[in-house]
Amino acid sequence: MSAMIEVQVTDVRQLTPVVREFTFVALDGTLPGFSCGSHVQVVLPIEGRTLRNAYSLMSDPRETGVYRIAVRLQEASRGGSRYLHEQVRVGDRLRIGVPSNLFALHSQAHHHILVAGGIGITPFMAYLAELEARGASFELHYAYRSGLTDAYGDELRERLGERFHGYDAAAGQRLDCTSLFAGKPLGSHLYVCGPQRLLDELKLLASAHGWSAGRLHWEAFAAPEPGQPFTVELTRSGQRLQVPGDHSLLEALEAAGVEVPNLCRGGVCGQCTTRYLSGEVEHRDHYLGEQQRGEALMPCVSRGGCSGTLLLDL
Amino acid sequence: MTASSAEPLFSTPRYAAEASRHSASRRIVVAQQARAAVALLDDPAPTLLLCLGETLTTSADQESLPSIETLYLRLQMLLERAEAGTRLYISGDESFLWHVYRLARHAGLLADEIELFKQGSRRRLYCVHCTHFQDIGEEGECNCVQCGVKLLVREHFSQRLGAYMGVCIDPDRPYAKAVQA
Repeated sequence: MSAMIEVQVTDVRQLTPVVREFTFVALDGTLPGFSCGSHVQVVLPIEGRTLRNAYSLMSDPRETGVYRIAVRLQEASRGGSRYLHEQVRVGDRLRIGVPSNLFALHSQAHHHILVAGGIGITPFMAYLAELEARGASFELHYAYRSGLTDAYGDELRERLGERFHGYDAAAGQRLDCTSLFAGKPLGSHLYVCGPQRLLDELKLLASAHGWSAGRLHWEAFAAPEPGQPFTVELTRSGQRLQVPGDHSLLEALEAAGVEVPNLCRGGVCGQCTTRYLSGEVEHRDHYLGEQQRGEALMPCVSRGGCSGTLLLDL
Repeated sequence: MTASSAEPLFSTPRYAAEASRHSASRRIVVAQQARAAVALLDDPAPTLLLCLGETLTTSADQESLPSIETLYLRLQMLLERAEAGTRLYISGDESFLWHVYRLARHAGLLADEIELFKQGSRRRLYCVHCTHFQDIGEEGECNCVQCGVKLLVREHFSQRLGAYMGVCIDPDRPYAKAVQA
């Protein structure tokens, strides 16, 4: 990433035992504006390595001058969320990237159906501010576990009234995904942010109900899954790198000083697509087609095989 | 200036020969001529045929409207109350197809939820000089009936306007010799 911004943490709030909210202001000048659904990469200097995790901006896009993110502590974390939860205090400085948006509101939608699973509520906090300001037609479906992942639940219930639909797993309530598709007006668009299984279920149901894929908008941030260590060779510079099992290929490249343009770091945006010349590839992205996979991979999530060397056109 | 080339322009519409097998919770078939839409009715999803004039002797739900204006109005009312998951199939000439298409997009249907089946040769032309719309056939040149400029009918099609672009064919002699009736 080229443009980085130095920010200072001006507020930290513990919202639930596992969700912590951070407020940032720019150290110099002002923060760039953003549209709802945007995210930023946050640089996290943890022991022995640097992580760049993407977090949705959840503040009101009209409120200029501050960014807010909410971070869920991940059990099987690589250390990024733990660092934010345990190390970062008010007054600390962090480096973040500029906002980019891979999860924008559909400009022609007549009705917006927002579906959040747990910490997936964060992009919708900015959405809700925008939709309320526009006087748009919308409904929020929020699946959570009370006392754990119900950040903003009480506030939203009060603020949104009958447009709020909460499902508390701790009380045995379940979101019935089929009901989301019944009787919705023609201009409806559905946005989902949450675990992969929720997204997969909604995709299947949307298609079964005759909804075109263009009505379904989704975002799923997940840290790259670990894998086997492998070796990669860069043909242009002749460098050979060992990629440890708990590093993504993109991280290994960055650690070696090779900058690859990237946005989502989660296998969806296609920005980091890189050509490879030979070697076995374990494709884990949601972006490349079968044909493209024969000669390109997305280093943010995909990995080389453990036998042999992956040859990259870098 | 070359008006013809082997490859059609990116914007030139391509029309389907038969209906796709996309699942739909409801289907609306709109046809200028009911007879031309018979094949579009063959689907297990609930289907309504909206047409002009004569109806079909099938068991499908159908409504025949006496005029094009009432057909457009009826469709608009149906779409206002329609639910997401509805698919639209339109059969007719290009002027008709794209009028209905734009109406449906405005109502909230997405491009890939609408299928177009072309009949006949009538199409709409947009004069880029005076913004007038007129219906033409397959001819590659014609005179604008409003400003009188002699137009080349480009294969460039605007989905937003639902029309092909007509541009002055000869800037040295922009007007046709003969006076338009």
